[in-house]
Amino acid sequence: MRHLILGSGIAGLQAARAIRSAQPEAAITMLGREPDPLYARPMISHLLEGSVQPSQLELGLPPEVRLISQDEAVAVDAADKTVATQQGRKLAYDRLLIATGADPRGIGAQNTDLENIHFMRTKVQVRDMLEALPGSRRALVLGGGLVGFKAAYGFLRQGLEVTMLIRSEYPLSQQVDPITGGLVRAKLQENGLDVLVGRDVARFEEDGSGRVRGAELTDGTVLDCDVAVVGKGVLPVTGFLQGSGVDVDLGVLVDEEMRTSARDVFAAGDVAEHFDLARDERWVNAIWPEAADQGRIAGLNMTGVPARYPGSLSRNTIRIFDLDLTTCGLVNPPADSGYEILREEDPGRGTYRRLVFLGDRLVGAACVNRIEHAGVLRSLIGSRTPVPCPREDLLRESVHPGGLFPFSR
Amino acid sequence: MRQVVVRPERCVGCMQCMAACAAAHSQSGALAAAIREYPLPGPRVHVGSGRYGEGFPNRCRHCDPAPCMTACLPGAIYRDGNWDTVLIDPSRCINCASCAMACPFGVIRYHRDPWVSPGRAVAVKCDNCLHRRAKGLIPACAEVCKSGALTFQEPDRAMKRRTDEISRRTSGYVDQERSGEEAPGFMLLRQLKKRSGQLAESGRGPR
Repeated sequence: MRHLILGSGIAGLQAARAIRSAQPEAAITMLGREPDPLYARPMISHLLEGSVQPSQLELGLPPEVRLISQDEAVAVDAADKTVATQQGRKLAYDRLLIATGADPRGIGAQNTDLENIHFMRTKVQVRDMLEALPGSRRALVLGGGLVGFKAAYGFLRQGLEVTMLIRSEYPLSQQVDPITGGLVRAKLQENGLDVLVGRDVARFEEDGSGRVRGAELTDGTVLDCDVAVVGKGVLPVTGFLQGSGVDVDLGVLVDEEMRTSARDVFAAGDVAEHFDLARDERWVNAIWPEAADQGRIAGLNMTGVPARYPGSLSRNTIRIFDLDLTTCGLVNPPADSGYEILREEDPGRGTYRRLVFLGDRLVGAACVNRIEHAGVLRSLIGSRTPVPCPREDLLRESVHPGGLFPFSR
Repeated sequence: MRQVVVRPERCVGCMQCMAACAAAHSQSGALAAAIREYPLPGPRVHVGSGRYGEGFPNRCRHCDPAPCMTACLPGAIYRDGNWDTVLIDPSRCINCASCAMACPFGVIRYHRDPWVSPGRAVAVKCDNCLHRRAKGLIPACAEVCKSGALTFQEPDRAMKRRTDEISRRTSGYVDQERSGEEAPGFMLLRQLKKRSGQLAESGRGPR
C-alpha cells in the first residue's frame, strides 16, 4: 500500500507514525514545503526567546519514510489517484493525507515586502528574525493574538523595545475575556511592552536600503521600528485542491474518520475543518495538539484500523514571565445567547478563573495561574456531558478528576 | 505485571503516600533528611479532599495512548514499554505546560525537582517508582498505604475482586425466593448455592 502525506507538520508526522505502527511494510512518502527536517512548530517562539536550541525542536520520522522537502502539491487528481507537485513530480498513491496546514493571513498595509517584516510561522522565519536582532532596537508586533504575544514576549526577552498594535479593544480578544486579556497585558507592560489598541499599520517606511525603518499607523502616528512581525491569524492551505473533487469550505471538510469527500483521501491538522465540541458547529481549530490527534486518527483509518475523532476544541497554554494562562473551548460566547458565566478572581494570589456554561454543560474555561488542573476542565468540556457537581466547585483552582470535587490544596 | 491499584473509597486522607513519594524522589531518599533539602522534593501522588472531606489519591494513570505524550511539544514525554510507564525526560522538557492542558486527571506539576532538575522547573509526574522497582522494592505510595487505598497487585486480580464486590451487592434477590417469574431451574440452582454457602460458613459443609 502506498501512502502519500502532503505536509510535514505534526499531523503528517503523527499519521506516518500511526501508519508505520499498523503497517510495517507500507510505503510512506511525505511531501514538505520547508527545507528543515521535521520540527515542533509551536516551539519556534521559544527559539525566538532564546530559551531553546534549534536542535531541540527536531522531531524524528518513523523508519523508512521517504521525505521530499522543498516541494509542494499543486494539483490532486482523486480519480487517477495522483498528485502533481511544484517541482514537476507526479506522485501516485493508494491513500492520500492532506496535511498541508495553514499559512499566515496577510495584511492590507503598503510596503509589506520590506526586509525585516516577518510572519512567525516557520523555523526559517524565526531564524531570519534572530539574524535581524543584533542591529535592532525597536520591534513592532501587529496583532494581539497568540502569535503576536509570543513574538512580543520573545523580543522583550531578547532585550528589544516592543510595541504591539491591536485592532480590537483588548489583547487575545479571540481567546479570552477582557479581564484575562487585561491581566496578560498588564504583565507584558510591567516588563516593558507598549500596547496600542484600536489601531493598525497603514504603511511601512523604508530606510533607503530596502529595510523597514518605521510604520505609519491608521491614525497618522509614525512609529520607529527595526523589525516587525505580523500575527493576524492563519488560513488553511487549500488552493491546490481546486477542481480535485475534494470538498472545501474554509478548510477541507472531513468526517469522524478524517475522510474527505473524495475516495481514499483524508485530511488532518490545520487544513481540516471538523466539528467544534464547544461551539457545536463545523470549525477549523488550527492548533498543534488537535493536529497531532487528527493525524493519528487519520493514519489509523488510512491503514484500515478503525478510529474515531470526536471533534476539536480550541485551547492554548502560554507562560509569559511568571504568569500562566490556559484557555479552552468557548471563552467569549455571543452575548444574550443563553450562556452563563461564572468568574472568580483572587488578586492576592494572582489567580483568575472564568467558566462558561450552556445548559448543564461546561463549554469554555480560562484560567490564570494555578493551571495544573486545566486538563480536567478541558476533558469535561470535550466530553459534552452534564457537569457532575455544583458548578461553583469548578471555580476552585483544583478540581477532583474522579467525582469532580475540589482538592483542598 | 503488577501495578498500583487505587481504591478511592478506602482512602482516609492521611497523605502518607504523598510524604513517602516525596521522600522516595528526594536526594537523600529518607523522609527525615528530605524535609531539609533544597529544592524541597514534591510528591507525585496528590491526595485530594472531597466535598465531605473524604480523601482521593490522585495518581498518573499511565494512559495508552497518553494525551500528555501526544501534546508534548519537544517530545520529552515517552512510554517505557517494559514497565508500561509514561515518563518525562527532564533534559528535553521545556516547561511549557502543554501537558497540563492535555492531562484529563490533573496529575502533572511544574517545579524544580531535586531528583531530575535541581536547576530549573520542569514537568514532574509519577514514574511508577522505577528506581525502587529496579532494587526489588514496590512503589513508595503503595508500600506506605495502610488502608488499602493504594495496593500493588496484578490488574487482573484487582478486576476480579471488583467484579466479586459488585456481584455481592446484587445477591439480594437470592433471598427473595420468588416463584413463577422465571424457569424453576434457576431458583433451584440459587437455593442450592445459598444452602451450600451457609453449610460452609457453619463449618459442616465442603469448603
